[in-house]
Amino acid sequence: MTGNWKRISVGGGILALLVILPLITTRSDILTWSCLTLQYILLSQSWNIIGGYAGQVNLGHAAFFGLGALTTRYLWLSALPLPFALLAGALMATAFALLIGIPAFRLRGIYFVIGTLVLAEILKVVVDTRLPVASVLPAPILATYSVVPRYYISLIGAVLAVATVYGIHHSKLGLGLIAIRENEDAAKTSGVNILKYKLVALAISTFPAGLAGGIFAFYMIAIQPGYVFAPVWTFDPVIIVFIGGIGTIIGPLIGSIFFVLLKQWMSLYLPGGFHLAVFGVLFIVVVLYLPNGLVEVIRRHTKLIKTFG
Amino acid sequence: MLEVSNIDVYHGDLKALWNISLNLNEGEIVALIGSNGAGKSTLLETIAGLLIPATGRVLFNGVRLDKEPSQRVVQLGVSLVPEDRGIFPYMSVLENLELGAFNKRGRRLKDETLKFVYGLFPILKDRGSQPAGTLSGGEQQMLAIGKGLLSKPKLLMLDEPSMGLAPLVTRNIFEAIYQINRIGVSILLVEQNVRITLSIASRAYIIENGRIVHHGDSKNLLNDEQVRHAYLGTIDI
Amino acid sequence: MFEFLAQTFVNGINVGALYGLAAVGLSLIFGVMRILNVAHGEFLMIGGYVGFWLFTLYGLDPFIGLPLVVIFLFLFGAAFYKVVFARVAKFHEELRLKNSLLIGFGLYLIFPQIAMLLWTPDERAISPVYSGKAFDILGIRFGYVPLGGVLVALIVIIGLQLFLTQTYFGKSLRGTAENWKAAKLSGIDIDRTFMITFALGISLAGLAGVIISLIQELTPVMGMPWTLKALIVVVLAGMGSIGGVFIAGLILGIVEAVSAIFMGPYTIAIGMLIFLIILMVRPQGLFGRT
Repeated sequence: MTGNWKRISVGGGILALLVILPLITTRSDILTWSCLTLQYILLSQSWNIIGGYAGQVNLGHAAFFGLGALTTRYLWLSALPLPFALLAGALMATAFALLIGIPAFRLRGIYFVIGTLVLAEILKVVVDTRLPVASVLPAPILATYSVVPRYYISLIGAVLAVATVYGIHHSKLGLGLIAIRENEDAAKTSGVNILKYKLVALAISTFPAGLAGGIFAFYMIAIQPGYVFAPVWTFDPVIIVFIGGIGTIIGPLIGSIFFVLLKQWMSLYLPGGFHLAVFGVLFIVVVLYLPNGLVEVIRRHTKLIKTFG
Repeated sequence: MLEVSNIDVYHGDLKALWNISLNLNEGEIVALIGSNGAGKSTLLETIAGLLIPATGRVLFNGVRLDKEPSQRVVQLGVSLVPEDRGIFPYMSVLENLELGAFNKRGRRLKDETLKFVYGLFPILKDRGSQPAGTLSGGEQQMLAIGKGLLSKPKLLMLDEPSMGLAPLVTRNIFEAIYQINRIGVSILLVEQNVRITLSIASRAYIIENGRIVHHGDSKNLLNDEQVRHAYLGTIDI
Repeated sequence: MFEFLAQTFVNGINVGALYGLAAVGLSLIFGVMRILNVAHGEFLMIGGYVGFWLFTLYGLDPFIGLPLVVIFLFLFGAAFYKVVFARVAKFHEELRLKNSLLIGFGLYLIFPQIAMLLWTPDERAISPVYSGKAFDILGIRFGYVPLGGVLVALIVIIGLQLFLTQTYFGKSLRGTAENWKAAKLSGIDIDRTFMITFALGISLAGLAGVIISLIQELTPVMGMPWTLKALIVVVLAGMGSIGGVFIAGLILGIVEAVSAIFMGPYTIAIGMLIFLIILMVRPQGLFGRT
């Protein structure tokens, strides 16, 4: 029991620090990085639910991110209060997910992966064609642009995401999803309603994805509408989840921090974009040799520390 | 010729064979009898190199089979005709046979082996260009055995050749097996059909739940009380 | 009117042949090994660049240089298999598919960056003297390069068919694809078969890359769009149907050419939509076996 209290107090301490961060520093780079990291935590945890816990490798995640982003952006810029715009964005993403979920889950394994990938591509092409012009924040909003409120919203989003995954991890839903992930046929014969669980997982996964998109739309000064449907918004969270530790609560947290830090660090020394190659190598290493990601590395490491005092 | 010594075999985390020992001398037909799930197929697959024993060893003419990949096992002269027949359903009967002769020795002697196989099973020649999947059960079994023969084995292992076949067809198959043995191929035969198996095998091992529980000459086993009760009551003729 | 339709048809065939070429290597690898190499387009891109180098540095005509590209990528593919994919091939089927997907994804992140370092992000193209030139029959334009592409595609189909049906090794490939356990029991060295199949698939991708670079720009990021195209064609044909790939490619090419008349910029989306519908209705594709 003391282990839990330790975890809660450490977590609470970090949370408290995060809350007061904008008050103790005015360095815009720290705030920006933190804000981005929190957004990545939100997005990657959302993928963790469907890809990690349910084991459904959904490569169309960008579609939900994009829908949330565009919906929020246009509603917010049309004078709808931000909270409603964000909610609408997230709901839009979830609605779309439920719409395509039933036909999508008729596809097993590899077909599901390809299908979701192609679906996101279709959306991107359509949006690119219909809305080729970038959306730029109008002057009045631009004048009062500050990272701070965006930071706090990202923090709320990230906390909600972690809490959601925590909730799933300790619930009957989580057990069912893991059963489906490990052996879908066996789960079916044990009486698990496969389609229902998958749809629930998808819905729970796409809501934060749409929210992440909405927050991103709130955060960015200029957005090319097609860009929020770009594959990078699927692949970044996938990388983060795998490297951090798939199907765990902390994995995406560690992964996001690692991702943003490494990305920033590498951009100093390496040509732009090269960080992707490094992540690619890490990704392959994880898949082949460290299936539980950084979480596993840390666990082994701390055991070593414990053994050697 | 074949010496299996104290092998334990696992299927993933599940233990399937416990301390199995078995041997077979050149020219013999030895039977392995047991009910479903006893571990017969697992044993054959291990000898064939598809599975690796956790302990123990498999010697064939002095060479350790358990340390060789499956293609080497075939090259060394051990061929397995599996329970599911192991044929290529969309390829023609002839192509199936040809692939059976894939190893060097088999390829060299392919033509004469084909002649022998067609002599045993003339229907295979008739159906040469048909896709193997369109053959009847008995014909597929003949193809499977023919395929095994084309690798020019010194030891041919057969996993339940009579399964699902009508009595007349079964008799043909077993006559063929006898012929194959007569030209010098040793046979390790796994079967549930005990009576006909014991009629052609000289010795038999009885396997139950992954362990060898009995072995001896066929004549003695046929007359053994326990064996009669346990297995001869389950004849399916 | 006839001319217009006929031209559309010809254009569709030209593109369709490319689609088939791009997809055949992917289909081969999947059919035999049950590995879906989603980095297929990356190898295609590399092939294009190798052809570009041969042409620009040594003046080697791309069509003549094809065998060199094929050999180079064959060796490259074999090395890649040994280092990266061999481990995955040892897993059982479901895990193998998922992991190969993920590894391909990792390669998709790496290759474009390496290509950018080696060749800069600028667009290139392979432009021999005859590129852009064409001849007319009945008012229909036949470009030299696209025609060359169709010819190469034909040679590849026929060559592959002969290889798979007339050679021992080719037959062992088909056997391995149908029943790998039976192949093992026939004395076939599965590891070696996998490696050679993979290398062959990669070299076919590279070959496609050269032809494509004669017609379109060569960029470090062209891999993924072509992987998607190849995926669509493979699924359309039916996973594991190698011959059907070219027919599926042609169909896709012609459908796209025709729909471009009505749909304009949405053409790509229509192609993908049709793909999704077919995926739902007939997942085994046009020629696949369940």
